[in-house]
Amino acid sequence: MLAKRIQPMVSQARRLYVELMFQVMGRALQAVSEVDDAVKKETQALPAGFLFEMMVMPNGPRLIVEHTGLGRLHYHGASAPRPVDLSIQFKHIAHAFLVLSFQEKTAVAFANDRMLVDGDISYAVRMTRVLNRLESFILPKLIAERAVKEYPSNLHLPHKLISAVRIYLKVATNFVETVRA
Amino acid sequence: MTQKYYEFFCPVKVIAGKSALEHIPYELTGLAAKRPMIVTDKGVRAAGLLDPVIAACEESGLEIVTIYDDVPPDSSTTVVRDIAGIYRQEKCDSIIAVGGGSAIDTGKAVNILVSEGGDDIAKYSGAGVIKHPLKPFFVVPTTAGTGSEVTSVAVITDEAKGVKLPFTSSFLLPNAAIIDPRMTLTLPPHITAATAMDAMTHAVEAFTCMAKNPLSDAYATAAVKKVSRSLLSVMDNPKDVDGRLELAQASTMAGIAFSNSMVGLVHALGHATGAICHLPHGLCMSLYLPYVLEYNLETIREPLGDLLLSLEGPEVFSATPAARRAEASISALRKLRDQLHKRCQLPRTLKETGKVSEDQRNQIAEMALDDGAIMFNPKEVSLEDARAVLQRAWA
Repeated sequence: MLAKRIQPMVSQARRLYVELMFQVMGRALQAVSEVDDAVKKETQALPAGFLFEMMVMPNGPRLIVEHTGLGRLHYHGASAPRPVDLSIQFKHIAHAFLVLSFQEKTAVAFANDRMLVDGDISYAVRMTRVLNRLESFILPKLIAERAVKEYPSNLHLPHKLISAVRIYLKVATNFVETVRA
Repeated sequence: MTQKYYEFFCPVKVIAGKSALEHIPYELTGLAAKRPMIVTDKGVRAAGLLDPVIAACEESGLEIVTIYDDVPPDSSTTVVRDIAGIYRQEKCDSIIAVGGGSAIDTGKAVNILVSEGGDDIAKYSGAGVIKHPLKPFFVVPTTAGTGSEVTSVAVITDEAKGVKLPFTSSFLLPNAAIIDPRMTLTLPPHITAATAMDAMTHAVEAFTCMAKNPLSDAYATAAVKKVSRSLLSVMDNPKDVDGRLELAQASTMAGIAFSNSMVGLVHALGHATGAICHLPHGLCMSLYLPYVLEYNLETIREPLGDLLLSLEGPEVFSATPAARRAEASISALRKLRDQLHKRCQLPRTLKETGKVSEDQRNQIAEMALDDGAIMFNPKEVSLEDARAVLQRAWA
């Protein structure tokens, strides 16, 4: 009985968590593309104006970023200015929660058919590498190891800390600017 | 609570063994199909492989309405549109693809157009675009390697744009796959070897990569066992009907395994090498397999060790200490490759192919890194890692 009454609250909390994580990730993607050369190198291969979306099917939370050129990503929030070029879609909010709460690695989620790719697979592989790199920077190593297939052995603590601080500062600034606007 | 999850799907009716082709008329009739079209290539026709298919249908009073025998090795959107035009003109109601990967993929793509309508196959490209069952579609493989008869994917080249269009839908799966040993009896030795190693690689990667699951494991181990036991005897005696059937079944089983658990770095490197150096897919699979297994070794030690039972049999398996079984599996595969090289000069290194230059290796590594298969490789692969594997595979 109690479980039945709690269930809607749990669902709502899960949805809010996924929405919040998408907002953080979208801004962090923009930030990491300004901070990290390896990410810049990855995103430079995307066409300028390329729109990338991560969303929960059918009409759940979403994040949209655009490659504006020279490897820079721009976070658009939850709405795209035009049809997206690449969409990674979670089949259910529960699957998105598993990944975004670091209970299931992104690669494992792909292997488990939790997500679909609509668009060029090679770009999806590239964006997955970018997401992995971002998670390696912004998460403590113990948590990052749960999120990525393999924690990069060449990512040393000073570089990780400095990059993480710069990314979080940019994310916070972006949040404040959004609220002000 | 378990963290494991998997999906497995294969609704294809497998009709395999002696006189399998003679079941085609009955199976077509069961789907209310009376006017089949055959899609094939010139090589298949010249080898006389259509004759038993046509005879099997005619003996049951089923007329093959038309035959398209000009499918190129890399099928294109134009070819698909032309075949769909003939299908409509001749008022066909079903398709029988007879051939290797290209003829089968073409058959799948033609089936999309004739079932969904229109002339532009490109608009159905992507995953999950097709929402309805298609026309009756049968596949008769003439090679034992690709497993295309049980996969839900087709790749067609868009000549105008110069890109390869992928089509993915469970509706692309044929209604039936007809595995008849007569269809592979005349395969030349080097193609027999390369395609069998393609099937072997499908099975080994299905068993060791990230999306492995209990059902795909069962198909993968059975396929490895069949290839290990039959390939060399077929190479020595190409008219060995039982051995040919074993290889053909292995190919189908490996196809079922990998289409439900995906593949990894061997395929990523193989796709890139095929695109850049124009080497046959099966050859690339055979070439890269041991080097990639060595790269993945510490991540896949347990499943790779288990494969020794299927590769070498119970005596060798029980005589090998558990800690050495993974290395022994790689050695078994190397030994098999050496035997194939001895019998038909199937290359074991990039240098032995004579078609790859050292400076192309970087290009291959870069392209492989963006291949979808790399997502399912159990170990993360960086550009340096891919380069290192290519270096080891060089000579």
